[in-house]
Amino acid sequence: MDNLGVFLQIIFWGLYAGCIYILLATGLNLIFGVMKIVNFAHGEFLMIGAYITATIFFLTGINPYLIILLSMLALIGIGALVERICFRPILGTGKLNEIFLSIGLIYIFQNGAALIWTDNWQSVKSPYDGITLPIGSLNVPLDYILIMVFTAAIICGLYLFLKKTRTGMQMRATSQNRKGAMLVGIDVERIDVISFGLGCALAAAAGTLWIVSGQIFNPYMGSIPAVKAFAIIILGGLGSIPGAIIGGLLMGLAENGAAFLLGGIWKDAISFVILIIVLVVRPTGLFGEKGE
Amino acid sequence: MKYSVLFIASILIAAVFIAGCTQQPATQQPSTTQGVIKIGVIASLTGPASNVGTNMWQSAQVAADKINADGGVTLKDGSKAQLKLIVGDDESTQQGGQKAATKLITDDKVDILVGGYSSAVTSAYEQTIAEYKVPYIVTGASSPIITHRTDIDTSYIFHHCPTTDTYGQYTTMFIDQVIRPAVNKKLGAPADRPFRLALLYQDTAFGKGIQTAVNDTITKNNLNIILVSQQSFRMGESDFRTPLTAIKAANPDAVYLGAFPNEGAPIITQARRDIGLNTIFLNAENNDNAQFYKDIGQYGEGAVIESRYSPYIAPVGAVADAQNAFKQSYFARFGTYPDMMGASTYEGIFIAAKAIENAGITDKQAVRQALVTLKMPEIVEAMKDKTISFSPDFRESTFDLWMEQLSYNATLGETRPVIVWPDNLKTANFILPSWYVAGSSS
Repeated sequence: MDNLGVFLQIIFWGLYAGCIYILLATGLNLIFGVMKIVNFAHGEFLMIGAYITATIFFLTGINPYLIILLSMLALIGIGALVERICFRPILGTGKLNEIFLSIGLIYIFQNGAALIWTDNWQSVKSPYDGITLPIGSLNVPLDYILIMVFTAAIICGLYLFLKKTRTGMQMRATSQNRKGAMLVGIDVERIDVISFGLGCALAAAAGTLWIVSGQIFNPYMGSIPAVKAFAIIILGGLGSIPGAIIGGLLMGLAENGAAFLLGGIWKDAISFVILIIVLVVRPTGLFGEKGE
Repeated sequence: MKYSVLFIASILIAAVFIAGCTQQPATQQPSTTQGVIKIGVIASLTGPASNVGTNMWQSAQVAADKINADGGVTLKDGSKAQLKLIVGDDESTQQGGQKAATKLITDDKVDILVGGYSSAVTSAYEQTIAEYKVPYIVTGASSPIITHRTDIDTSYIFHHCPTTDTYGQYTTMFIDQVIRPAVNKKLGAPADRPFRLALLYQDTAFGKGIQTAVNDTITKNNLNIILVSQQSFRMGESDFRTPLTAIKAANPDAVYLGAFPNEGAPIITQARRDIGLNTIFLNAENNDNAQFYKDIGQYGEGAVIESRYSPYIAPVGAVADAQNAFKQSYFARFGTYPDMMGASTYEGIFIAAKAIENAGITDKQAVRQALVTLKMPEIVEAMKDKTISFSPDFRESTFDLWMEQLSYNATLGETRPVIVWPDNLKTANFILPSWYVAGSSS
């Protein structure tokens, strides 16, 4: 493998990792943008989405790329329930309540998943396992191409939903000015439920694509990605969807570049090095607005 | 927003600090229950290592059941005592290990401890063991620091599992004596062609221990092996494509992994499936468990594992029957089969019982002395000179290790091992798979 080939391969792995981060961080940002709540348990929705996909796959053998829709629908329901039962009662009562509520949810979801599915490592075998496509000098597994295509399709779908539908416009309005949205008659509590559900559905998509790529998983899989998703939305700008997309890609590329150039132990650290640099230079993040 | 971030960070730091301040010093009272010997078993029942930890705890129960069914432990006064096991869940974390050890010693007042898996977790509560002077037979943590460290008194700690020093050295000698000649033969290369070895290791005491052992073995024995790439990764990592890309660019003849089973299986899968790195992967012994074989599937073909106990094969010799009996007893109670750490923990309970029997009392100093002078026949794992005893310097027992090679069984959809080294234990010869690609310096 020549140097250019190695470079391109590292870029490719970075793009793949970036796709997972984009979906997770976009969901988190959607929730934060509308509700302004800090939810550290967002990674657990990735985990639940992964387990729902895996369970349906193990029981039926249906192509996991098709199950992604079912998993997202299930997480919309679970997310709406969590918002209604847990977050709505404490909305506006202070960040401390949100933080400790979400930390509590992490333990509840992890232990609940361990009870249902055990905490053994598991894996899902993609139907396209072993199939590769030649792209330039690279021989790329088909699964990674599909993961990138699915990510792009989901993000495009979200964009169209936010731009073209009435509910999407109401979500944007609530995100920009919650009181103003209430004054013009928008049912912000309904928008909260939809936003939280959609954010969780994006996490479910991330979890599904994570396990379809052949990575093993257990109930604790969501903790580190959630921390990184927070870093990404702070990096990209709190509440900014384009910021989450650019931040996710940047994080994926930086992590893999650092792992190659500096060693694997720098893979996680580099995310936060970049975050600190961006915050020092531009405290609102790459795409954040003043006052946010 | 900046203040919000600072606020969140402060809360998290405070939470970590509070969690770290849970050590509870206390004066230990002697065990008062007559006719019962309390053995504390420290295992990871929850958290990332729970698969191994559950196996260790269940194996300990099988051992205690057998000892109790055979009449228990005979004490100096001629009375018989039954074993009572009390488990402490280390939660796969250092704080959890500290809590478990403290509770077993101060609340449950155990007579002796057995278990411990992660070296990082086990070393975190060794200070408590030293403070209370409770004999502890470590059956899972493989870093030599467990009994070699000098910052605390480790004299009550006995190590009944091979260390990373041992199996790093053993695997490197196997590479030199078996794989290197096979690769030279395949290439038609001269015998003095340097063997190109790459390392991919977990950035912990365990992984670094293997890295150090490989480097030291090459240097001390002046082996014709060059390390063409040494890559590390964070414990619990699941995406290894980038370090594997770097390793492939270095053109290795083989890759030695210092990884746990939940890392080793995805490493080999990603290497062969995604990177096209068609080489021999050598694994540490903790990978020799049923979950690893299940996870790795067909990509495990040709891989090598250093081992001392396998769920699917026993070496030629006397321990084969003992291993099968242990596996059947375990299966009858739990419906699954025990893994390697389960086997050494099973033996750990027998060692604890024998030491107390030899001491005749449960006094901890006397039991420690009995462990120092212990000599008992091997149980289910092959031991050097067929005897379990602890070295006088670092209180380590010595195992007879072997190397396994995996071959794919399409009917099962999994690989199964054969023992290929050393000659006195092997069941088949090592072979280079047809798809194997040797490295080159170009």
